[in-house]
Amino acid sequence: MGIALQLLFTGLGVGSIYALVALGFVLIYRATNVVNFAQGDFAMLGAFAMVVLCIDIGIPYGVGIAITIVAMAVIGALFNLGVYYPLRHRSFLPVIISTIGASILLENGVLAAYGPRPQSLPGMFETQGFSVGPVFFDSQYLLIVGVGILLFGLQYLFFEHTILGKKMQATSQDKEMASLLGIPVATMIMLTFVYSAVLGGIAGILVAPILFVSVSMGSSIALKAFAASIIGGFGDVRGAIVGGLALGVVETFGAAYISVPYKDAFAFLVLFFFLLVRPQGIFGEKISEKA
Amino acid sequence: MSGVSAPPTALAELAARRERRGWILFAVAAIATLVLPLAVPLQAYHLNILMQASTYAIAVFGLTIVLGYAGQINLAQAAFFGIGAYSVALGTATYAMSFWVALAIGTAFAAVAGAALGLTSLRLGGHYLAMVTISFQTILSLVLANWVSFTRGPDGVTGIHRPSIFGHAIADSSHYLVLCIVALYIVGYLVWRLGHSRLGRSMQAVRDNELAAGVVGVNAYATKVIAFTLSAVLGGFGGGLFAGGFAYVSPDQFSFNESVVFLTMALLGGVRSPFGAALGTALLILLPESLRFLKAVYLAVYGCAVILIMVFMPEGIWGSFSALKRRLRPVRSVVDDVVPPLPLTARTAHAGDATLLEVSSLSKHFGGLKAVDQVSFTVRANTVHALIGPNGSGKTTLLNVLSGIYVPTGGEMNFEGRSITRLKPHERAANGIGRTFQNIRLFAAMSVIDNVIVGAQRRGNDVEGGDAGRRNLALAALGFVGLASRALDSVQGLSYGHQRLVEIARALAGNPRMLLLDEPGAGLNHHEKQELVGLLKRLRGHGLTIFIIDHDMNLVEQLADHITVLNFGRRIADGAPAEVLRHPEVIKAYLGEEAHRAVA
Amino acid sequence: MPLLELDSVVVAYGKVEALRGLTLQVEEGEIIALLGSNGAGKSTTLRAISGLVEPRSGSLRFADRALARLGPESIVRLGIAHVPEGRRVFPGLTVRENIVLGASNRRRAPKAEVAADLERMFATFPELRPFADALGWTLSGGQQQMVAIARGLMSRPRLLMLDEPSLGLAPLVVQQVFRVIADIRANGTTVLLVEQNAHMALSIADRGYVLETGRLVIQGKPAELWNNEDVRAAYLGGRVTSAA
Repeated sequence: MGIALQLLFTGLGVGSIYALVALGFVLIYRATNVVNFAQGDFAMLGAFAMVVLCIDIGIPYGVGIAITIVAMAVIGALFNLGVYYPLRHRSFLPVIISTIGASILLENGVLAAYGPRPQSLPGMFETQGFSVGPVFFDSQYLLIVGVGILLFGLQYLFFEHTILGKKMQATSQDKEMASLLGIPVATMIMLTFVYSAVLGGIAGILVAPILFVSVSMGSSIALKAFAASIIGGFGDVRGAIVGGLALGVVETFGAAYISVPYKDAFAFLVLFFFLLVRPQGIFGEKISEKA
Repeated sequence: MSGVSAPPTALAELAARRERRGWILFAVAAIATLVLPLAVPLQAYHLNILMQASTYAIAVFGLTIVLGYAGQINLAQAAFFGIGAYSVALGTATYAMSFWVALAIGTAFAAVAGAALGLTSLRLGGHYLAMVTISFQTILSLVLANWVSFTRGPDGVTGIHRPSIFGHAIADSSHYLVLCIVALYIVGYLVWRLGHSRLGRSMQAVRDNELAAGVVGVNAYATKVIAFTLSAVLGGFGGGLFAGGFAYVSPDQFSFNESVVFLTMALLGGVRSPFGAALGTALLILLPESLRFLKAVYLAVYGCAVILIMVFMPEGIWGSFSALKRRLRPVRSVVDDVVPPLPLTARTAHAGDATLLEVSSLSKHFGGLKAVDQVSFTVRANTVHALIGPNGSGKTTLLNVLSGIYVPTGGEMNFEGRSITRLKPHERAANGIGRTFQNIRLFAAMSVIDNVIVGAQRRGNDVEGGDAGRRNLALAALGFVGLASRALDSVQGLSYGHQRLVEIARALAGNPRMLLLDEPGAGLNHHEKQELVGLLKRLRGHGLTIFIIDHDMNLVEQLADHITVLNFGRRIADGAPAEVLRHPEVIKAYLGEEAHRAVA
Repeated sequence: MPLLELDSVVVAYGKVEALRGLTLQVEEGEIIALLGSNGAGKSTTLRAISGLVEPRSGSLRFADRALARLGPESIVRLGIAHVPEGRRVFPGLTVRENIVLGASNRRRAPKAEVAADLERMFATFPELRPFADALGWTLSGGQQQMVAIARGLMSRPRLLMLDEPSLGLAPLVVQQVFRVIADIRANGTTVLLVEQNAHMALSIADRGYVLETGRLVIQGKPAELWNNEDVRAAYLGGRVTSAA
């Protein structure tokens, strides 16, 4: 019982990371109809930025985090201008391929700059954590879950209770109508990319002390986050969060009870199952044949 | 039906001449590249490069089929490559099989995997296919690295045996290279032939406009699955040859990165043609070797290249080159030609009241919205039956239900006495129902005649003489609409009115017994509309039944034998034009309340 | 000087010429009806004015300013509101949110002012008040049309363009919508009304233009148009005596 609770807590922590990245996916998709295959690399960049700033340069964690977030915002803007904007009128295939290209570029750019050796970031807290009964609450995992809850809450408030949030929702629901009302659509899309990049970056910052910071960490997180958003119901914000958390839990339990080396495969097996049985995911609407 | 055995046309001669030229070029190139390794002693290093290039090119040909021809994304080509490679590796090294048997097994495994992936995910949108292929790729990489007892894990497999032919072992690398090149040429030729075959045209139709392809008779789902499976087969085959060449394989050679490399090769060269695939592969294998100092960043450059290609040169190098060639050398038009007559014209109108299409209480609801609400009517054979109604009355929805694009919420449709209510669009085409679209849906990347041939190749349309017979039938259809001389043009260069005619010709080439026309007059000027009316009258004169939606009342009045009127999804009038157009309900639906008396 | 002036405007979508040289004027304070059957080019005219499509040639002037190459976001700030065909209420936002977003062009408007305008909208469309927090997709066609018009009015336009407001609505609701349109003009806003339902449109319009396949075929006062054979024929045929 104690083990199960422990695994649950760990799973929620891992799942929060997936949820953060999945959320970035879904927001970009809703606003632009583009599936961003480079989403996970935003997390990788966030993690590497922390390594560079806090290990190599020696800046304290707090300042490092702030600088990283700003840097990710800039990267999101550049991504919008360089990868999405020139192809915004084209069909989905060139855009998907382009984001894949961006992913390769980012990963190998960092590889070229930093070399292939994985880095590690020491923990952010002095205390490892504390125990409540049989469950040990690791500080970093607590931070992940806490930040996750905070972010999802803030985001809910932003989208539901601010005018800017409403304008962004309107843009993702009907771009043309939004422009007829005077909503600056290009700006809304830019903000979406910036926010999604920051979300990804924060996921990277949070997970850096737990995993090895390597060039390929982004793509494996991204693939699972993508699977999570399909499981949750592609295009649905709740689906991204629920799917991410669920996947984290399933994966953690799977690794503990079934097999460790194939841990990464669980996400995809669950995905296959959903695609066969319920492709619209948990929250999605039935996918009908296109008319 | 259709014995369209016409005298050899200039069109056929042109095709024959081009084919002869192609053969000569092919033979020259083949001999040159085959002789090279045997005549010129090459170092092992160069032999390896060439072996890699030739086996990679085979895998990239697979992408030409699935992405270039059929327009579907495959991000697991390296996984299929790996299946083939590991089958040969483990087969010969661990299980002491003959190379050829192991190669066959590997190719078969790849085919099964490809078919399984395709069958499960090709019903859904492109994002899902991308996701599923990446997942498969990831899982395979994991298995290769972790199932140590079977695959020998990250250490890889050594001691792979090479094949023997008729007892002679092909141990020498330069001989093995010759084998690879022979395989390359054979596969390349087959892929090229596929592009010009019936199946290849179906794939391209699905790529260019899946909806129209279905309506014209192509089973889009099956076509996509076949394309995907063929792609996997070529991946596996190339991988098997690769393993024999290098005598060592390891899991990291078949990762997602390699899938991206294959994709980039295809895109750079030009994804729509095997020449592009070969060109892209050659460039991206030979070039980095000369740019070896960039080794550390070469994948980063790849990534950048992919983006730049998508933005600036989506056709790839070969594709842009072909486009340029087409623009500089004007297409020979097929003048002075004996255009065969359309088989339809041999028939004449027959009197009689036979019911062709019976629609009973047809409904289509979208959630709470009743777009079509219990509509019934009968279409008699050899008539022009018009469906009219104000904007938003449900006409287009009804037509979409008739073509099978929408599944009805209720009601029945019987065509020639058989129920078609549950049939898919391509099955309705197979039953003799043709259709055109309001927003013209032609296959943009194909020529005029190829567009029409896709219509001719619908299932159930028995045409003598295979592809040549279909070509003649297509030419006949084009001749009927007056566009035979433009057969070889690209459809994009045609005026809107002409594009409309090509769409009609495409439907006629399927020898339909009923033609559904959705606003055929839309976008045409007055003169073009009158020509259209004449065309449709001629078709009726040859016994064809026409079901037409249009807003132009002049056009409808000139053509219709019978009119059904919809408003708010319901039938409000049905009968001869004279009475329907004066019916008070109809007037009210269009103009509003009863005639408004003039007040000064 | 007319508030809105179009001169020989040509609009093409790819190869299709949707407008083949349209010339018309709208004076301040008028209600102008733009009539014609489907495909005549009425919607295209509005889309050219609001900046959704760029004309190939010809000039468009609003309050003596050229509209060439201005995007929709700039044009709505000049005082032209376009309520497009199909209502296009944001399905995932509430009635209140939809209407408030109509003021997006008024960048420095104080919140109190926008709130006051919102109240005025609920006063104009009282049947919407109970649905203030209902999501857009749950509304009936008539309710959506009211929301769309209210949303358009929030931008405080000088010219309100309505594309087929009666489409798909029951006759009683149509009458209600047209009463609202007449009130809008009474409050000083000029209205350009595109309609297939010629009767309703002509019953409140000051003048009308009739389009057919992208060209203007006739213009005039409602009474003249209504009794004109060509207008009837444009909708219901009748120029041809037999259908052989």
